[in-house]
Amino acid sequence: MTHLDPDRLADRALGNDDPLTAAEEKHLDSCAECRDELAQLSRITELSRRPEQLAQVPADTIWRSIQSQLASAAPAPARTEVAAEPAPSPPAASEPPRRTPRPRSWLLAAAAAVVGLIIGVGVTTVAIRDRVEVTSSIALAALPGQAGHGTAELVNDQGRPELRVQIDAPLTPDRYREVWLINTDGQRMYTLGVLPDDGRASYPLPPELAGQLQGFTIVDVSIEPYDGNPAHSRESQVRGTLPT
Amino acid sequence: MCLRDQRDCSCQARIVAKAGRVRVTFVIDEARLNAEAAGEDVDWRAATEAELRVGFYQGDEACLQEVFRRSAPLIYTIAYRALGSSTDSEEITQEVFVSAWRARGNYQAEKGSLSGWLIGIARHRIVDRQRARGRDLRLVQAVTTQTDVQAQPEALSTLIDRIVLTEEIGRLPHPRGTILQLAFWEGRSYPQIAEQLDLPLGTVKSHARRALLHLRTRLAEVTS
Repeated sequence: MTHLDPDRLADRALGNDDPLTAAEEKHLDSCAECRDELAQLSRITELSRRPEQLAQVPADTIWRSIQSQLASAAPAPARTEVAAEPAPSPPAASEPPRRTPRPRSWLLAAAAAVVGLIIGVGVTTVAIRDRVEVTSSIALAALPGQAGHGTAELVNDQGRPELRVQIDAPLTPDRYREVWLINTDGQRMYTLGVLPDDGRASYPLPPELAGQLQGFTIVDVSIEPYDGNPAHSRESQVRGTLPT
Repeated sequence: MCLRDQRDCSCQARIVAKAGRVRVTFVIDEARLNAEAAGEDVDWRAATEAELRVGFYQGDEACLQEVFRRSAPLIYTIAYRALGSSTDSEEITQEVFVSAWRARGNYQAEKGSLSGWLIGIARHRIVDRQRARGRDLRLVQAVTTQTDVQAQPEALSTLIDRIVLTEEIGRLPHPRGTILQLAFWEGRSYPQIAEQLDLPLGTVKSHARRALLHLRTRLAEVTS
């Protein structure tokens, strides 16, 4: 017998009072595909009965931040194949390929500037930049067997202590990176969060550490597999120690 | 250029430069093709989903804005219901669109819908935050059980499905959408709905059936 008509399965999932024929029931008993189809339709029926109304999204605010983020970043390289496509006749010329070389990340320049600024790691520097007070700034260096470098700054952003991390280090396929504050006792650590692929992010300090780091001075960037295990992978890419 | 890079595919996405804006045509809509050929501007608000995909892929920022307009409520709601924080949800929504835009070259249209792709990115970000929260909590409380963390992905996917389904039902045209809302959300029986909408019972049932199959297709596109 051929598979059951989707309409019949939908009827059944909806609980319509039009029972399946004996032949249809028999097919359903013996056909995993039709049973799976019915299970999916029944699940949708069940989930649909518990609607989750859309939240009020502050769309304008979010859109503005997206725009400013995109404006500050490099344009992605455009696909070039499109240039070979014929343009529809009436309008004029086809667009030339926008082959923009990916500009060097500003990160390198910024990292170089910051590294220059803080020669003599461990010395607490105070700088006022956009009402952000840099409490201390350190270089992050690659661990043995790893490549890359970066900086970590402890800043006071209008009263909110944050750790700003910028690294320039290769990405590993199918891995993400995570930023940690490790205690010098080597026993305890805080995760600050995932480091975006562009290698820069700011993290508010855990409230317990906002006043004093209490030994959580090692800034560590780890390479994490998507394995569902929340613990540190024990594979660190770059690391540095904040002054106490 | 075929969006799926199939030589024998009949779709012909074309781009033309006009006033610095990338314009996209998809032959699935002859009327639109003619409008394009006549040199009219693309109104992304009226674009079909397939057209948006092409425009997005090609990098028209006006197209990104339209994708944002359509999908931001979905992404934001998923983040908000999963995390309960408007700050986190704003951040996630922003991150999802920025990283989708930056990685648009990787977007493979044949792998699913644009909103499915955005939801996939959002899902990762949500799990990251849930994981970080769980870890902070555990470090503070010295609790090491991981069962909570591992239970989350399934709960999250159910939540996402429910939000997607709510939105899809809300988008169904009348009377199909009304029938499903009365049946699913208000628990009315089909005879009651038929009477209320003054439609034959068979028509009501047929709409419900069609709508359910449509929801199944949409859900598969968005969450596969």
